[in-house]
Amino acid sequence: MTSVSSTGLAKRANWLARFRKWEASGVLIALVVLCLVLAFMAPAFLSQYNLSVVARQASFVGLVALGQTLVLLIGGIDLSVGAIAGLSAIVGSLMLTQTGINPYLVLPLTAFFGMLLGSINGFFVAVLRLNPFIVTLASWEIFAGMTLLITRGVPIRPLGESFRIFGQGSILGVPVPVVIFLAAGAILTFVLARTRFGRNVYAIGGNKEAAELVGIRTARVEFLVFGLAGLFAALAGILYASRMDSGQPSVGEGWLMGAITAAIIGGTSLKGGQGTIVGTVLGALLMAVLANGIVLMNVSGYWERIIVGAVVLIAILVDLLRRR
Amino acid sequence: MLFEAQGISKTFGVVRALSNVSVDIERGEVHAIIGENGAGKSTLMGVICGKIPPDTGRLFRDGRECAFASPRDAQAAGIAIAPQEINLVPALTVAENIVLGAHQVGGLGAIDWRATHAVAVRHLHEIDDTIDPAMPAGQLSKAEQQLVQIARAAATNANILIFDEPTAALTSRETEKLFRFMRRFSAAGNSIFYISHRLDEILALSQRITVLRDGAFITQLDPRTTSKDEMVRHMAGRPVLPAAHRPLTAIAEEVVLRVEGLGRNHEFRDISFDLHKGEVLGIAGLVGSGRTELGKCLFGVTRSDAGSVEIFGERGMISHPADAIARGLVYLPEERKQEGIFALLSIRENMGIAVLDRFRSLLGINFAQMVGEVQDYVLRLKIKIGSQDDPITSLSGGNQQKVIIGRWLMKRSRILILDEPTRGIDVNAKGEIQAVLHTLAREGLSIIYISSELQEVIDVSDRILVMHEGVGKGIVPAAGTKQEDLLAIAME
Repeated sequence: MTSVSSTGLAKRANWLARFRKWEASGVLIALVVLCLVLAFMAPAFLSQYNLSVVARQASFVGLVALGQTLVLLIGGIDLSVGAIAGLSAIVGSLMLTQTGINPYLVLPLTAFFGMLLGSINGFFVAVLRLNPFIVTLASWEIFAGMTLLITRGVPIRPLGESFRIFGQGSILGVPVPVVIFLAAGAILTFVLARTRFGRNVYAIGGNKEAAELVGIRTARVEFLVFGLAGLFAALAGILYASRMDSGQPSVGEGWLMGAITAAIIGGTSLKGGQGTIVGTVLGALLMAVLANGIVLMNVSGYWERIIVGAVVLIAILVDLLRRR
Repeated sequence: MLFEAQGISKTFGVVRALSNVSVDIERGEVHAIIGENGAGKSTLMGVICGKIPPDTGRLFRDGRECAFASPRDAQAAGIAIAPQEINLVPALTVAENIVLGAHQVGGLGAIDWRATHAVAVRHLHEIDDTIDPAMPAGQLSKAEQQLVQIARAAATNANILIFDEPTAALTSRETEKLFRFMRRFSAAGNSIFYISHRLDEILALSQRITVLRDGAFITQLDPRTTSKDEMVRHMAGRPVLPAAHRPLTAIAEEVVLRVEGLGRNHEFRDISFDLHKGEVLGIAGLVGSGRTELGKCLFGVTRSDAGSVEIFGERGMISHPADAIARGLVYLPEERKQEGIFALLSIRENMGIAVLDRFRSLLGINFAQMVGEVQDYVLRLKIKIGSQDDPITSLSGGNQQKVIIGRWLMKRSRILILDEPTRGIDVNAKGEIQAVLHTLAREGLSIIYISSELQEVIDVSDRILVMHEGVGKGIVPAAGTKQEDLLAIAME
């Protein structure tokens, strides 16, 4: 009898230890606590309408954050994701308004266009071995400038009835962007955990020299990662345009910091090699719930950035304690 | 008694690194600490130099109890360490590295560069007067960097220095310089804790030897009366068998690797040799002989600019390690930490990283399926592990090295280039690795064994290629060859 209960105990202890070691444990606890507090203090939080608004809000920056997580995992950074989202949204909008293209094709075509933009970063970083911070700082300016050059600051609208469903519609009550965001998160989780490409990402982020010496073609992996970062940013941008029924030159502004923040509070290390997609998804949700809570609790919107900054600091402190 | 540590215990997680260990040191004494990897030597020295807080135990300086909250406290008490790992700031000059954190400050609180430089140069010249103090530290060779680290420890004006494996990266010339410094230092009434796997050095230098095993004190030996055999026996806890040589005639005719006139600018030139199936070809050469550069070039890390390489009778471009691996030729790097292991990944993934494709299923890579094969190599290579899921950094250096060897065995490679595979590894693990290599060679694996330890090359190889300053000086059979012979060939 005693042996049975003691193995049960040991199993539970083991499970707990694994939870503590998991990078995303902190953000999960924070999210659950925050939701409970809000549900208790502002019952409107739990209404289906409010939840779908929050989830949709999370999915735009969240999609960008998925790509950013990949880049951070290989030890890089992509500062141009917001600008890629903006430029892609404009190009997608132009496709819709200037050509007779089938609206359903616009989504994949825009994603592909974003991947091309990301590949430009990838070329400089992976092939020419330039510093990703500097490369993407430059491409950020260039992509953002192209957006302004094309639009002259004027939104492109309307995008048409049939295209709006991507941003505004829902599947079984779940907004389409949320479905895409969660599906992308699930696919990436699988890719990172169970494919050679995914394991190579962790290997390169952990020790690039050793990765080369076990035969990983690190340049190819890096190139692809920057391409994917562009793809997810473009997807977020065009979904947002669909949601607003308007290709606005300002799409993507502020998404860069949101994406990095989501990844970091989700437990991704800026040094590379450590982090999970689940953590990033939770991080994006936490940020959206936080913003929503500020509104629901009648706190002045001017507080939002201060609170987000404080949350990031708390997140890295919790992470520090977790590692002890 | 100058310094004493009493009843030191330290536990990391579940690993008991030290249990109730006591050591002391007299004025003017060189006290050697020996033991296998994981015996607790470095942990004990970490406690003494203030880097690691002990769980229990007391420290006494000149009979007065003291406690160190940080290496700074220990330095204030006259204790400094020259660690095994290089941790210089590469972009700063040698001089500035030596006085780092202890700049001479002039009026207005500004650094007095002239005085700072003078102090640094004085300490550097105590050890080596050929290193340029104005050169960025990152441009020095590994061996020179090691000497600079020792000068830095001495520059704290400590009278107790801790040397953790100082000679592992040194050539014989630099080792001589270090020993001269140690003799002068101790003759002046200062003391040294000395950690080394090189037992000859210890017999020649120390006045006392403390043996640790599995975190516990085993015995104290007198270098005047003890022998290498006795030391090894105490370290291992059992007798260690030397590897047996095998006759050259056992080597197959088949040439698996033919290198002709290979060269790469400034690194090596005109290297030619044949590697046979099942042969161990040693490459002997001092630091700077181009041996590592040759190994990396064969593996496709760098490209040659002269000559040709045939692998299994096939020529063809090898422009990336992946090309070499695909053709059955692999390389185990010299710098285990920087180039070999993935510190964030588990033992299992570190071993299986080159063969992920083999475990592909409909649901992606099946790591569970890998367990059995990894376990085979864990047993075969006698790797001491808890769980395959533990991070590789939980293992000692020797066991990490075995995991990397296992990585290439799992890949079923046919030509294995090993670059300093036993550096910083204890006698027993060394013997085990060499025994496994012998078995593998008998089974048909061809091995290129690069090492700066001449005796080691002689012990494991069938034939030896001697390299010196980038040039191949000749190939000799290992049987019957002595270290002096190899040196003579190199210097010809």
